[in-house]
Parts: sequence; C-alpha cells; structure tokens
Amino acid sequence: MQSFSYEKAQSVEQATGTTGKFIAGGTTLVDLMKLGVETPTQLVDVTALPLAQVETLPNGGLRIGAMVRNSDLAHHPAVGKDYAVLSEALLSGASPQLRNMATTGGNLLQRTRCPYFRDPSYSNCNKRNPGSGCAAIGGHNRMMAILGTSDACIATHPSDMCVALTALEATIQVEGPKGKRSIAIADFYKLPGTTPNVENALEPGELITYVDLPAPRKASKQVYLKLRDRASYEFALASAAVVAEVSGGHVRAVQIALGGVGTRPWRAHEAEAALTGKPATAAHFRAAAEDALKGAKPSSENGFKVELAKRCIVRAMTMASA
Amino acid sequence: MATQTTPPSQSNVIGRSVARIDGPLKTTGTAQYAADFHFPNMAHAVPVQSTIASGRIEKLDAAAAQSMPGVLLVLHHGNMDKLYRVVPNDFSATTSEARPPFEDRTIYYWGQYVAVVVAETLEQATAAAAAVKVEYSQTPAKLSTNLGDYAGKRPSVSQRGDAEKAFAAAPIKVDQTYVTPAETHNPIEMHATVAAWEGDSVTLYETSQGVVNHRYAMAQVLGIPRENVTVVTRFLGSGFGGKLFPWPHSALAAVASRRLQRPVKLSVNRTMMFSNVGHRPLCEQRFQLGATTDGKLLSLRQDYINHTSLIDDIDEGCGEATTYLYSVPSLTVTRALAQRNVGTPSPMRGPGAVPGLFAMESAMDELAVALNMDPVELRLRNDATKDESNGQPFSSRHLKECIETGAAKFGWKQRTPAVGSMRRDGRVLGWGMAAASWGAYRFPCAATVALEVDGRVTVRCATQDVGTGTYTIFAQVLQEKTGLPFERIGVHLGDTSMPEGPMSGGSWATASVLPAVSSAADSVVKTLLQVANSTAGSPFAGVDPAKLQLTAGRVHQAGEPAETGVPFEKLIAMARLSRISADGNTTAIFEDPKAKGLSLHSFGAQFVEVEWEPQIARLRVSRVVTVIDGGRIINPKAAANQIKGAVVMGVGMGLLEQTVYDPRTGQPINGNMADYLMATCPDTPEIDVTFLDYPDLAMGEYGARGIGEIGLAGVAPAIASAVYHATGVRVRTLPVRIEDLLQSRIREA
Amino acid sequence: MAEKPTLREDQQLLDLEPLGQIGSEASASGGQLTRRTFLSGLGAAGLVASAGPLSAAAAPMGQAEGAAGAHTVLTVNGEQHDLGMLDTRVTLLDALRERLYLTGTKKGCDHGQCGACTVHVDGRRVNSCLTLAVMVSGKEITTIEGLGVPGRLHPMQAAFVEHDGYQCGYCTSGQIMSAVALLKEPVGPSDHDVKEGMAGNICRCGAYPNIVAAFQQVRNHSTMNG
Repeated sequence: MQSFSYEKAQSVEQATGTTGKFIAGGTTLVDLMKLGVETPTQLVDVTALPLAQVETLPNGGLRIGAMVRNSDLAHHPAVGKDYAVLSEALLSGASPQLRNMATTGGNLLQRTRCPYFRDPSYSNCNKRNPGSGCAAIGGHNRMMAILGTSDACIATHPSDMCVALTALEATIQVEGPKGKRSIAIADFYKLPGTTPNVENALEPGELITYVDLPAPRKASKQVYLKLRDRASYEFALASAAVVAEVSGGHVRAVQIALGGVGTRPWRAHEAEAALTGKPATAAHFRAAAEDALKGAKPSSENGFKVELAKRCIVRAMTMASA
Repeated sequence: MATQTTPPSQSNVIGRSVARIDGPLKTTGTAQYAADFHFPNMAHAVPVQSTIASGRIEKLDAAAAQSMPGVLLVLHHGNMDKLYRVVPNDFSATTSEARPPFEDRTIYYWGQYVAVVVAETLEQATAAAAAVKVEYSQTPAKLSTNLGDYAGKRPSVSQRGDAEKAFAAAPIKVDQTYVTPAETHNPIEMHATVAAWEGDSVTLYETSQGVVNHRYAMAQVLGIPRENVTVVTRFLGSGFGGKLFPWPHSALAAVASRRLQRPVKLSVNRTMMFSNVGHRPLCEQRFQLGATTDGKLLSLRQDYINHTSLIDDIDEGCGEATTYLYSVPSLTVTRALAQRNVGTPSPMRGPGAVPGLFAMESAMDELAVALNMDPVELRLRNDATKDESNGQPFSSRHLKECIETGAAKFGWKQRTPAVGSMRRDGRVLGWGMAAASWGAYRFPCAATVALEVDGRVTVRCATQDVGTGTYTIFAQVLQEKTGLPFERIGVHLGDTSMPEGPMSGGSWATASVLPAVSSAADSVVKTLLQVANSTAGSPFAGVDPAKLQLTAGRVHQAGEPAETGVPFEKLIAMARLSRISADGNTTAIFEDPKAKGLSLHSFGAQFVEVEWEPQIARLRVSRVVTVIDGGRIINPKAAANQIKGAVVMGVGMGLLEQTVYDPRTGQPINGNMADYLMATCPDTPEIDVTFLDYPDLAMGEYGARGIGEIGLAGVAPAIASAVYHATGVRVRTLPVRIEDLLQSRIREA
Repeated sequence: MAEKPTLREDQQLLDLEPLGQIGSEASASGGQLTRRTFLSGLGAAGLVASAGPLSAAAAPMGQAEGAAGAHTVLTVNGEQHDLGMLDTRVTLLDALRERLYLTGTKKGCDHGQCGACTVHVDGRRVNSCLTLAVMVSGKEITTIEGLGVPGRLHPMQAAFVEHDGYQCGYCTSGQIMSAVALLKEPVGPSDHDVKEGMAGNICRCGAYPNIVAAFQQVRNHSTMNG
C-alpha cells in the first residue's frame, strides 16, 4: 500500500471541498488499496458526517443516509416492513462483520470482483488502464457478466443491495463542489462500452449523501432471491429482485432487477413488459425470463448463467405471486 | 445433531471424552502461533512473486525499493547467500521444494519468489516489495488441465491376475474417467517463519507439522550443523499436510535474519498460500471394473496420473486404497506424472486415498446402477477377508460393520433406487454412500516423562499439536499412569530441544506418541518406587518395590488405600532429587514383530443425503452419517470433532473446492478466500459420527490407529452418488457445480 | 495512558514456565537475543502459557519515516494506547498485533474473507484487517484478550472449551468475538439461524457443529437467567 494522508471530514461541505478519496466502511477501498488497485494519496474519512439516519420523506418514501451501515439498514423497521427486498438483499450479501462496516453510500460504489481488475500485474484492464485491453476476455470467466458486456469489459457488478435499489427505483442524492443533484439509479450506473473506467455518473468531488426510496406501493410483494455455489458469504451467480403487484391471478405491475449477471445492476425491462397484465403462471414467468436474457452474451465458462438467471426470475416471480 | 461415541463404560481416562487441556489458551488468544512471536528490534520480510509461469529473470531492479523508507535489505538471486539442497529421498530431512529459493534465474511457476524485501515495519516492507521491478523473458508454459493426452510411461503400482483379460470377459463393465481438481490446503493460519540468530545458531519459530524434520532439513539448506538449528512450533493453525516440510520462505527468513543480525518475521500472504506452499494436485483416473451379473468383482484396473511441478516429482498415490479395499482376483494399478508450470504439490489430507476413493467409489456406484443392485449390497458382496495385494491378514478390519451400522443409522432401507424418486418438503432427496479407508502407521518417537519435586508430572516431546488434540492425549496417558489431575500435568511439545517425536501427518501422530509416553511413564514410576525403597527416612525404606504402587500421586503399599501412602513429591524431596525422569521410545511399526505380516488400515463408511431444488439448481448436503473403524479412540470428544470437520471439508471437496489456474499466466486466479470456496458454517450438514472402537493391538498397548484423514475419505464420492440419485446427473469431475446440476432432466420437486 | 506496550496482565500471570529452565531473556538492547527465550511448554488447564519474549520491546512505533502519519489513540479493552503519529497505512489488525502485541487477534486472509481478525468496535463486530487504525482512533475496541483469561473465562470462551468448538484454535478468537456479538444481534432461535449468523468466520478444521452448540448453550443459558 502506498502512503497516503488522512483527514476526517466534519461536514459535507468540508468533504466535497477536498481533492481526496472518500472512505467510509473501507470494505472495498482498503481491500483494493492492499492489492495496489486503488492508490489514493489522500483519504477523506466521511464516517463522521451527519448522514447516518433513516427517515420518512413527506411523500411517504424513505430517505437513507449514505453513512447508514448495511446491517442497520437491513434491520431497520421501516425497511423490513415496506422494502423487504432491500432487507433481504442486504442480508444475503457479504458477512455480518462486513455488513457492520459497509455503508449505503459505499456499497453503491462497490467495485467489481473481476480477478484481472483486482490484480495490477495484469496491465491489460480497461477499467484500470483505459485502452489497455481486457485480460478477462479469454481468461477465467465463470463469474463474469453476460448482460451489458462490451469488447472492452465483461466485469460483473457484484452488489446485492444495488440490485434491490434498482428494482425499487431508488434515487441517489449527491452533493459536490457545484451543489446538490438527484440521480435516478437507472442513470447512475454506466455500461462499460468503450470506457469501462467510467462506472457511474458521479462528477469529481461529488459525495453520495442519501438514497431515496419512493413510497411503498400498496399490495406489492417483494422478493430477493440469490443463487450461488455455497450457502452463504459468496457473491451471486445470479440473483433477482422482484417488486410485484399480483391480484386476481394477474401481474398488475412489476419491477425486476438482476444481479450477478450484468455489468451493472440489471433492470429487466423486457421481462417486466412481458409480464405486466398477464396471468401469473409459470409459463408466463418463463416466457418473461426468456425475454430478459435475450441479449445475453456469455463467455466460454459462464453460459450456464443464462439458464440460471432465467430460473432465478421464474422462482422469484413464483414466490412473489404466492 | 446426535453423536454417539463409545465406550461410555471406561472408568479410566483413556477412551473418555475430555476437554482439551489447551482450550483455555486457544479461546483467550493466549496460545502462541508462529507469527505471534515478537522480539526486540524485529524486522519484517515480504517476498516478491513472479508474475509469469515459465521463463527467466532478465533484470531485477531493486534500487527504488531499496531507497524506500525503512527498507533494510532486498535479497534476490544476485545477492543471495549460498543455500544447499537436501539429500534426495532422505526422509529424515525433507524439503517441499528441492530447489532452494533464488537458486537460479529460471521461473518454474507463477508466484515463485524472486526477491524478498526486509524493512522496519510490515507496511514499509509491503510497499517496497511492490516497487521491485522485474523483467522476464518468457518461455511457453505447460498449463493444460487436460492430463488425458499423456503418452509417456505408466509404471505399475500393483498387479495381480490379468485385469485386462478378466475385464474383456466380464459380463458387466464400468469404464469411466474421473477428475479431481487441484485443491489448496488453506489452513486459516498462513505459513510464517520468525528467524532469530544468536551467533552461529538460529531459532526458527515455525508453522510446522514436523519440527524435527524441519530442523534437519533447514540445517542442510543453510549448511550449518543440526545442533545450530532449533525449531519451535508451540501451536499450529492446522496444516492438512501443507506444513509437513519446509517451504522456501523459511530459508528466506533465516538468511535475511542472519544478514541483518536482527530477528525477522516473514508471514506468507493468502495469495502465496495458493502458489508457494503446495496443493493437492490435479488427478485424472480411469477406472475399469468388471463384474459378474450378481455383482462379484472380477477385475479392477486403475490408471491414474497427476500433475506435478517442473522442480519436483510428486506422486499423489491414488492407488493407496485401491488394492485391498475389495476382493477382486485381477487388478492392475498404474501411475503417471505430468509436469506443469505450477508450484510443487504436497500431501493434502488423505493424499492418494481421498482422490483415489472418489474415483473408485464413484465407479462402484456406477457399477451398482449397471447391476440394478443396492450400492450397500454391492460393497458387502465384495468385502475382502484378507489384503489381496499381499496375502496378509488385516490386523483389524470391520468395514462390513461400518457399512451395516451406517446403513441402519441412516435409514438406508427406506431408500428407493430410482433417480429423483425421493421427496421431502418440496425438495428432491438424493442418498449416496461410499466406503473409506486409510493406512495405519506408527513412527519412532522419544519422550521424557518426569515426576517433579513440585508435585507435577511433565512430559517433553518434539512433536507438535496440529489441532488434533495431541497435547491432551499426552496428558491423558500421564493421568492414566499417575492418577494426577490435569492441573498437575505439564505437556511440552513443539521444540526440537526436546526428545524427537513424529510428524503430525498421515494420521500417525497419536499411534506414534502413545508407546513412548506410556513406557516413559512406566519407567519413571518404577524408579520412583525404587527410590521409595532405597531412600533413608522413607516410610517404605526396605519395602520391596514390587509391593508398592502409585495411586493418585501417592506411593503406598499394594492392597492398602492410597490415602495411607505418601505424596510422591515428598519422597523425591527426601531423596534430595529435583525430579525423577525417564525416557520412553516408540519403534516404527515396520520393525515391530507384533505387526509383522499384518495389513494395517482404518476403515469407514459415509452415508450422505443431499437436498435438491431442481427449479433453481440449488443443492445442499443436508445429512451425513459416518462410521469409523479407527482402532481405539483415545479422546472421543476431539475425535468426533475431527471426523465432523473432515466431513465439512468433504462437503467442500464435493461441491466447492477447486484451484483454477489462469490458462495463460498460470496464476491461481481464484487464489483468495472469497473466490476459492470452502465450506462455511451454513454449509454444514447434520453429522452423526460413530466409532466402532475396536482396539487394534498390533498398533500398541492402547490399540489406537489414528483418524485424521479417514473422515474425509469417501465423503466426496458419497456426495456425487447422492447427486446422481437426486438428479440423474453423474458428475465425474469434481466439484459438482451448478452448471452440472442444470443438466438434470428433473425440473420439478 | 499506556505509552509503551507491555505484557498483558494475563501473560504476566501465566508466566509459569515449569522447571524454571529457561527464562524470558530477550535483550531490549542491540536487538539480539542473549539466549533462547523459552522452551515450549503447556501446562494443563492453561496453567502454563507463554509469556512471550516481547517484554518491553522497543518496536517500531509512531510515524514511520517517510510515510504519512496521523495521531492515533486506540482504546483497547478499556486501556488507551497512544500510538503517536501512526503510519496511516496500518490496519487495526496490524496495530493490535505488531504495535500492541495483542496477538490473540489473528490474520487469516487480510482481505475480509475469513473473519479470523474479528474484533468489536463500539460493540459491533468488524473485520480488523479492513479497518484502518486511524479511523477507529477514539473508539472502544474489544479484542479476545478483553473477554476473559484462562481461569476467568467469558461464558462463550468456556462454552467453546466445553463443546470443543475448535481444533487448531487459529480462527477461534474471531469465532468467539463473532459469537459474542451475535448474542446481541437479531438472530432467530434455530441452528440454521445461528449458522447464518456465523457465516463470516471460516473454520478450515470444520468445527462448525461444535461452535453452533457452544453458541446455543450460552444463549439459552443467559435466556434462562433472564
């Protein structure tokens, strides 16, 4: 790890006025600094900022402070009651210790687990060295993405929380040198395209302050289903977050997001369109899942993820319709 | 989670469940492992690893690293002290890699140490290690994971009858190839060395499963007399075979410390754990079974090959259990090695037998399917009454009882054989079973037992406790022999200044130490009684020692209550002694007339239930019944823990574990604990352990054989068989993965 | 405020090397050992533990030359340790082990993937390997050494001994720190719930069944006692 200066920000203004890299839980950043992937010369500790509250918004939605720890958010009564998909997603991620450390804001910025990204001895990584190529293509790719990939990058977005937030259509509040702004989560994550180094919509110096959830939709049923090799403490091979309104045997409205398969938290619009207004039957779920994975481009070792993701959608929809 | 242990009726401490004497140290963070040692002025060493698998170092530029803050020394091929190799095949002084570190500029595998940086602090050394610049010329690396294209010699391992002819003529045949991947030991304690010189002598605080071998080997590597090397391993964070013999980092720490004349700590990191300290090699095994239509084996042929490094020829020995487990008139086993640009393999829990039994027991399950016969019945029908590889009788074999007991406890007769035919709570159940075996060994051991004038009894032995409970076994013998409570018993292990004990490996530590401690304790008691007889002022002066005995720490007349006697420490004091001590020795089993002409093995049976959710291809091991014939069990509490832990490791072997090498660079690309998957607490099934507890008196007075490896043997094939039973998918390449399960035609539960 | 790391109280209490054969003789001057420090010894029931040869070792402290530092005060098990201008790169794990000689907390992976380094910060369990020491300056840190010592075990430590909740013992500190924290976390009553609550601590020896049993005993016992 290279040497860096450290300061603790006491206000958002102070934090955004620096040129340093923000650190909160450190579960991604310290890990990557040890690997030599992140090499900040200045760290700004944002854990003391007054952003650790969960509060109800006037519109009935929920405002989650960026410094709220994953474990606290998962067990927050309002989240458990109205946003079960978020609670389930959080509790399916990482380990109890890491969830005690990781923050909401930090988790939004979680980096990929691509082993070639994580090892600087591979000079060819377009995320780390734009234009250098991609070592993952042609390498060990079982865990890589099948949706949203490009010739420049096939790295999977690893988060569970962000998948739930995508299904919930969260809005991310940020504050930077130029002021405050809101970013819909759909616009927050960037596809790799030819610039995998650009992962999100944040401008230099901008700090995530809150995540806003819309008011809970009445009668919606929420499910987070995560499929993986071992029983716990592992990243998803495929996961699905479903927020669905099912009544009279029909899907009235549904939002579906996928994890473990996309280069970003993957909103399955095609599946939603295929399901809305349709009978809640296994056949329709399967047809929608087929639609969701139509654009999948697997690599040599992860073709199974296509079928697995489909089954994940079908099972999650079945659970949400039960 | 029922655990039955036998026998409950023993009144003495041998065979009784006792809490480990080192428990309070381990649970309070007080137990000292190698990397926990600190010395004044200690420096920290961090190695630099090769980023290619094959080639040559053309240029190594350490200037930038050397000038970084706190850096004391950068060692590499260009400035390394002379190191030496050990004598090949000298089993008293074995290193893991024949090649000492930095011996030449050649790169044999990804991750090979090319330099080591020593600095005042760990942070400084780590940063400077990243600043060492190395330029390589690359040569094509041999990295193929396909061993099937091997065209070289296949030397015979065992041969009887004519397997080829018998197979050709057999009415029922199985002919399949099984692959077990490279696996990494991954003890949670990473290998470490703290080296401290004093003049010409060095003390190495080590992560060693064999301090005595480590001493002999390092004396040769460093080119110094054996007396000048002391190796200390007070506590070991397990090893599973990976810590049997010294790895190159030990020499790096020793040389750095000698150069700097300061203590140096070198702790291997988790990345290095995957490349530089051994692994279970990739194995490919072809099994051909021929049988009669009523399930009697006619022929068995096993052709195995495993990968090895370019530096060392390591034979995994997959034929270990093949030749004697079942009765079969014609048998051929051959071996082969395929060199790859990987680090040197090393024994990993149940080397040979564990991958060998995966293949053999999977083939037996396939044979059962081909015969439409119950797999339990097939095993029973082929039980061997003698070791057919050499005609010797078994010292103690109860495989049949293991299988029958396991079947009864598991409820095997409820099994319906059709694939996918068993259901519970919306899930498909799969039931599978396998037999298990592992050799029984006993190696030389010396131990010193002393009755101390302070009223304690102590024992000293240069063996070590790898985590199996060796400390407690010593204490149990001393309690058995002296009647003293554990509070007055001191056990001293893990230091080569003491009498030489065995390695902790191959499941032989317990069997090896018991006779030495027992005989030393007997001798010391005998001497004590003579002292009681000969000491002026002793109440037993002149009493025939044969009429005296030691009970609960008191010497008394035989036939009289112990309370009438005298505490032994009083007699020692009367005789003006500090202690009465005696040495005891164990002879190797190969030299023991009692074991001559006997085939010595442990046996077991594994029964596994998997739960399968076909809709989402989710499969978990839900229940395991394991029955072990491991001779007499000295401490059932620790022994049951060992077996359960081995089953947990077996779940990993069956469903999770695989070291994946990048096909281009040869880097173990999942070389961390997030990507190399080992079983977590939620992966743990319900485990029921039974010990048959038949003493094997050919092994010694206590009849213990050892149980470190056998719990793992047979678990993976039982899982794979259960997977077949649930899903109809026969997985012949471990681990069983979701991509395999997605092939199942069963889609609903 | 403790200015220099010293032997832990329990280490001093437990310095009962039998036979008095070898003492703790590390010389703090010159950096060389005057002689072998001690023999390996293990007394029953934890009577004989290692003192370790560290004594008043003048280990590297404070700001490392040439590296950025930040004033760091660690409150560990109720005792304050002023580490001066500590190299900012130092993790809590390495601060505990290499600066304060509290080696009960173990390093198993250094990347938050095994749980061996688990400690409590302000009462919550965290991976000390991914925690920068400077970031927890001023917070309450509890390590395994703060729970109990041989002879005065915390109920969870005693339950691990009783249930043989370990083999090699290396992951045990982390397991126990996790288990003690889990007692206060929302966790269901079943073994399944406990297993999930302990998922962040890998035990390669596979002592999981006994770890779960130890946890359940402590929880049920404390429930019974209100």
